[in-house]
Amino acid sequence: MSNLAMKSEEEMLEQFIERIEAGDKIEADDWMPEEYRIALIKLISMHGISEIMGALPEKEWVPKAPTLHRKLAIMAKVQDEMGHGQLLLRVAEDLLKPYGKTRSDIMQDLFNGDLKFHNVFHMDTKSWGDAGLIGWLVDGAAIITQTNMLGSSYGPYARALQRICAEEVFHAQHGEAIIMALAEGTEEQRTMVQEAINHWWESLLMFFGPASKETTGSSKQDITIKYKIRKKTNEQLRQDFFTKYIPRILSLGLKLPDPTMHYDEEKQMWIYQQPDWSEFKKIIKNQGPRSQARLNLRRTSYENNAWVRDALAATTN
Amino acid sequence: MSSGENVLSPEYKKALENLLFQLADDDFLISFRGSEWLGLAPHIEEDVASSSISQDTMGHAAMFYTLLEDLGAGKADDLAHLREAQDRRNSVLAERVNGEGYYMETPKYDWAYAVVRNFFYTQAKKVKMDSLRQSNYKPLAETAVKVNMELYYHLLHWKTWFIQLLNSTDEAKRRMNEAIELVMKDFGDVFSYGDEKTAIEQSGLIAGEDQLKEGWKSNMALPFECVAMKVPDIPEASAKNGRNGDHTEELASALTTLSEVYRLDPAAAW
Amino acid sequence: MAEKTFYREFEVFSKRTPSSAFQHQFSLLAPNKDMAFIMAQENFMRREPVADIWIIDREHIRSMNADEKLTLGRLDNKQYRTTKGYGYLKKKWRHYEQQMLDEKEILSWGGNSK
Ligand SMILES: [Fe+2]
Ligand SMILES: [Fe+2]
Repeated sequence: MSNLAMKSEEEMLEQFIERIEAGDKIEADDWMPEEYRIALIKLISMHGISEIMGALPEKEWVPKAPTLHRKLAIMAKVQDEMGHGQLLLRVAEDLLKPYGKTRSDIMQDLFNGDLKFHNVFHMDTKSWGDAGLIGWLVDGAAIITQTNMLGSSYGPYARALQRICAEEVFHAQHGEAIIMALAEGTEEQRTMVQEAINHWWESLLMFFGPASKETTGSSKQDITIKYKIRKKTNEQLRQDFFTKYIPRILSLGLKLPDPTMHYDEEKQMWIYQQPDWSEFKKIIKNQGPRSQARLNLRRTSYENNAWVRDALAATTN
Repeated sequence: MSSGENVLSPEYKKALENLLFQLADDDFLISFRGSEWLGLAPHIEEDVASSSISQDTMGHAAMFYTLLEDLGAGKADDLAHLREAQDRRNSVLAERVNGEGYYMETPKYDWAYAVVRNFFYTQAKKVKMDSLRQSNYKPLAETAVKVNMELYYHLLHWKTWFIQLLNSTDEAKRRMNEAIELVMKDFGDVFSYGDEKTAIEQSGLIAGEDQLKEGWKSNMALPFECVAMKVPDIPEASAKNGRNGDHTEELASALTTLSEVYRLDPAAAW
Repeated sequence: MAEKTFYREFEVFSKRTPSSAFQHQFSLLAPNKDMAFIMAQENFMRREPVADIWIIDREHIRSMNADEKLTLGRLDNKQYRTTKGYGYLKKKWRHYEQQMLDEKEILSWGGNSK
């Protein structure tokens, strides 16, 4: 046996923490505490599967996009989201190796409800305004959380995020372009955007998660911060989002769905009406308005195509 | 533009426009069908790869619509979104649904059909582009050179799927053979110029129908040899000839979907 | 042969230009290398130029475990094999009113490649 095995678990852990503290990156084959591995698997497989699931509401507007240019751009955008899922699932799959799990296990976990995705975004999409809003604010929120982990202590995740965030810049501009055209457009188009903001507002607030675990009984944020996987807390991220986007929303002449919202100079933070966190507790159990329908679509398409994977599994070259 | 509008004879211009509508509508409809697949392919990596092909193809459609716009046929976006089914000149093959179900619900699309349709279609398109590179209408010849550049990948991609699936399990072979049958049923108008046959063939814009069919068959010989099958015969263009505006219900519903937002206000900026 | 699965792991490498070196991009799952090959470019290089692609079955990669990585350790006492150990020549040559042939100078001899 190797001499590493002779080190006690404690020594290994100590060394591991030292490495992380020193800003070292942990790689897939490195020793890591079980707690770290499990936190990463939870975080990254959820992140990856959320991209794959998130493609479904957005793709509804791909064939309907108004012009040739918009059709092309939104196709490329949703393709990127599938691509993000690919990158992230690869990272999660490598972490799952010691458990003998592969992508098909990840899919099964999704289907039987063990692996959760960002349910808060699984609502119906009502108009092209929703497609624009997803690109602008939902991606905007996702950019805030993803850039927060660019310096992650886990190297493969940081590298995947590097690729992802580079593409998110295009997503942000794609969303802005749609919203800008609508906001500068006809009365009907402006209404589309306003309704989309009203429709997605609560979801956007919920997306960052509760400020503390007292709200919902559990929160992953503490452990991910401890292991330097992420930097800021849920609330800090939500505040960052407000700071970046509220002025932009207002500058386009759009209204915030929350009339009480304001910036408190003294406290140096945005004061806002809390979303319904008890509703949130329900939603994250795959009970978003369209969660089950989208899960069913994902399951159906996966099973419907099983013959393709079976066929090629037998090929050798 | 190198050939000014004023130097084109009315007959030539008519043949040219008709041909361009065939090319543009073909690519537009088949890439629309590809876009419905987005997120639902058998494998995530493949989803990403095949979406690029749909994007390239819609990009080609946009180039052909722009050539029409340059000829004064109307705005490219209007041409793509506002023309009724009977004015469309695409092959019936390009408009067919991907399989069972509507994309907004819980469709059960047929990957074998996607592979066969796209492979056969892409090979047909390649033969046309090769011919169009010698077109006497300069802007079209230049476009064909550009389009051709991206077809190498499209062809390799679909050919790989085609050969691998036909060399795999019995179930895959059965599904692929059913798909080949389905695709060939609609293949009659792929190389047809419809009622414009004489005008287009005499225009010097592109080779004749028969020559293109021969090109397709000889290019298909090798892949079919790899799967120990015979290249199927291309049927005569049936009564339902998309080149003459004869289409299926499937086109009508595709048009409803793809123009839903644009039609809200075609004059607005989107 | 490994067990038959659709989910085999392949590493993807690519070159931006014909003259540049291969660079690791990422990994993907595919049933075989031809399939991996037709998916590689669009998965990882959608927005950048590509001059060449390599697909490598991960099983064919000899990688290092943590123990083996210990073999990479090395003392910083090997100035004798680097130019760092010969910096004093600069001063010497100055004495003979000559310039030292340093890296910049020598690599410039290949021609006008700047
Ligand atoms: Fe993403
Ligand atoms: Fe995104």
